[in-house]
Amino acid sequence: MSSNGEIKFLTHEVGSLAKPPWLVKTSAGKPLEESDVEHAKSWGEKLEVDGHEELVELLRSDERDPEEVARWSSRYCLRLQESAGVDWIWDGEQQRSEMYAWAIAHSNGFEPRGTIRSFDNKYYSKSAAVGPVSLREPYHNDEFSFLKSAARHELKIPITGAYTLAVWSYDEHHLPKSGRLGGGVSRKDEVDARRELTLDIARNIIRPNLEALIALGATWIQIDEPGASTEEDELDIFVESFNISVEGLEGCTFSTHLCFSDYDLFFPAIEGMAGCRQYCVGFANYDTTELGTSGAERPGYEVISKWRDLPYEPILGLGVTDIHTDFIESPELVRDRILYAVDVFGDPARIHVCPDCGLRTRSWDVAYEKLRNMVEGTRLAEEALNRAHAGAR
Amino acid sequence: MQAFAPGIYPRSEELVQATRDLDRGRTSQEAVDEQIERDLGDLVAAQQAAGLDLLADGMLRWQDVFRPIVDASDGLETGALTRFLDTNTFYRAPSATTATPALSQPLNGGFIAKMPGPRLVTLPSPYALAHGTGVEPTTVAASVLKPQIDALDAELVVLEEPFLARAEPGGVRKLSAALEKLAGGPRLALWVTFGSADALFEEGLGDLPVDAIGVDFLATRANAVPESFDKTLLAGVLDARSSIPEEPGEIAAFVGQLRARGVEDIALVPNGDLQYVSQSVAREKLARLGQAKTEAV
Repeated sequence: MSSNGEIKFLTHEVGSLAKPPWLVKTSAGKPLEESDVEHAKSWGEKLEVDGHEELVELLRSDERDPEEVARWSSRYCLRLQESAGVDWIWDGEQQRSEMYAWAIAHSNGFEPRGTIRSFDNKYYSKSAAVGPVSLREPYHNDEFSFLKSAARHELKIPITGAYTLAVWSYDEHHLPKSGRLGGGVSRKDEVDARRELTLDIARNIIRPNLEALIALGATWIQIDEPGASTEEDELDIFVESFNISVEGLEGCTFSTHLCFSDYDLFFPAIEGMAGCRQYCVGFANYDTTELGTSGAERPGYEVISKWRDLPYEPILGLGVTDIHTDFIESPELVRDRILYAVDVFGDPARIHVCPDCGLRTRSWDVAYEKLRNMVEGTRLAEEALNRAHAGAR
Repeated sequence: MQAFAPGIYPRSEELVQATRDLDRGRTSQEAVDEQIERDLGDLVAAQQAAGLDLLADGMLRWQDVFRPIVDASDGLETGALTRFLDTNTFYRAPSATTATPALSQPLNGGFIAKMPGPRLVTLPSPYALAHGTGVEPTTVAASVLKPQIDALDAELVVLEEPFLARAEPGGVRKLSAALEKLAGGPRLALWVTFGSADALFEEGLGDLPVDAIGVDFLATRANAVPESFDKTLLAGVLDARSSIPEEPGEIAAFVGQLRARGVEDIALVPNGDLQYVSQSVAREKLARLGQAKTEAV
C-alpha cells in the first residue's frame, strides 16, 4: 500500500541470473571473442552502466582478474533489474559459483562427489558430509558490502537454507557405511541422520552468516529452500532448521523461497514457522497461459489459499513468471495472476510479485523481458484494483 | 548369477560441459554427439571390465526416462517440470491429449544404441508412463510400448517402475493387465526402483506376467521375497542415491540370504538409475557390482 492509500505491490527478483559469457570465460581462464566484448558493450549501453567502457577495456586486455570481472557482472545485473523496474533486487548471484557449491566451498566437513543432473542439460555439483560441519568464514559479507555500495534499489539477500544444503548433499558421516541391505537401515534411522546434519548446518553455518549480514546492515534475508519438500516426512526438519537459523535475530525480515514442489505437502508443517514473514513461491510453472481471473483459468494458483489461512498471516511472494521457458508472459497475464491471488487473499497487502525462481537458466534478453513485463503487469493489476476501489467509494 | 546396470547412467564431466555449452550456443550438436560416443565407449568398457553380463547404453541422450517415448508418441506430450521422487532431479511429467495415445515411430539408434555384445534396453513401465496422464496403463502398453518393444533386438527389456512402490494398493493388479499386452517378444523384467517392495509382494508382485522382477533391496527385506521364487530376481544392491561405495563381500553375503530362501536365478543390479551419483562414483559402483558377482558365485 502506498502512502496515498492506493494499492501498490512490492516486486522483487528471486536470486540468480545467468552469468554473461565474458564472466564465464574469464572465470574458466578461456580467451574472449569479439562477440563477448560486444555483449558487454551493448548491454552496458542498454542498461546505462556507469563506466562500462572501463569493463570493455578490461575485457580487451590480456590480464583479467576474475573477481573484478564478477563485480562488473554484479553491477550489470543490478542495473538490469533496476532498469526493468524491480523494487527489491540482488545481483543474480554473479559472484557465487552456485547456490549450493558456494555455501559448501566455504564450510568445513564436506568433500566434493561430482556433478549430478538437475534436469535436461542442467546440473549441480554435489558433495558429501564426511565429518562435523562448520562455517569456515561468513561467505556473503563481501558481496553484500559491495552490492550495498552499488545498488540504487533495496537489497534482499538470498542465502541457501540448511535443509536444502543437507538434502542436496550425500551424508557419509551420519549414515552407516554397511549393514544397509535387506532394509537394514530404517526410514527412522535415515530421518534421524538428516535431522542431525540439517540442524548442525542451521546452527553452525546458516545462523552465523545471518548474524554477520545483519551486523553489516541487511534488512531482508531470503532463505532459499528449493529442496524443502524433497522428503514428505522430513518437513518438520525443514521447519525446525528455519526456526533455529533465525530465532531471536532482530532488525531483519526473514523470508523463504520454495519452488517446483507439491506445495500441499507443506501444510500443516509450516504452521510452526511464524518467524517467516514472506513465502516466495513458484506457481507459474503449473499454470495455464490463458488470460482470466477465475480458478479454472488459474489452476497453478489453486493452492495459495493455504498460505492465506496460515495463522501468522505471512505475505505471499507470488511467482508469476515461469523461469523454465522463453515464453514471455504478457503484462495482462501477469495482471490476471495477481488479481486472482488478491481475490483469494482478500488483502492486497499480503501479496508481493516475483518470478517463480531465479532466472539463471534464461538469457539476459529473455530475463529482462520477463522482468519488465512482470513489473508492467503489476502496474496493470494496481490500476485495475485502484480503479475498482475508487469506483466503490 | 548375473549382474548388469539398467537405467540412465551419469554423464561424464566432459559431456556435462558439452551439453551446457550446447544450451548456451557455445558448441555444436556434432561436438556433443562426439562426446556422447566417447562416454558410451567408456561405459561399455567399464561394464566389460566389471564382467557385467548384459551391456546397457546408459540412455545418455535421454533427458528423463519418459521423454523420448513421449516425444515419439501421438497423443502424449511433456508437461510440468516435476520432482523425481525424493531426489533433486526433475522430469517433464507426461501428459495426454487423447485417451488413446500411440507410438508414431519406434525410437531409432540415437536413443537406443547398438552394443558390442548381449544387451538390455530400459523403457518406462506402462504403469509409470501412464502415471498422472489419465490414460489406462493397458492402453499405453498396447499402443505405445508394445510397438517399441517389437522393434527391439535385445536379450532383456527392463521396464523401469519408480512409482509403484509408493502407490496406493491396487497398482500391481493394474500393472498386471498392462504387462499382458507386452508378451510375445524379448524377455521382460519389471524393475521396481527406489522403494520398498515388501507390500507389493503381498499384492502379487512375484506373479506378474514378466520373466524377471527387480527389487530395491536397500528398502526391501530379503524375506519379503516369496520362498522358491521362480523368476529371475533383479536384486537392487547398489544404492544409486548414495556416494558410499558398497562392499562386495556384504553383497555376496546378502545373496546367500536370498539363496537360502530358494531364490536361484539372481541378477545383481542398482536399486535405480545410477544418474543420481556422479560418473566417477557410478564407475566405482559398477566395478564393485562385478566383484560382488564374482564373490557370490
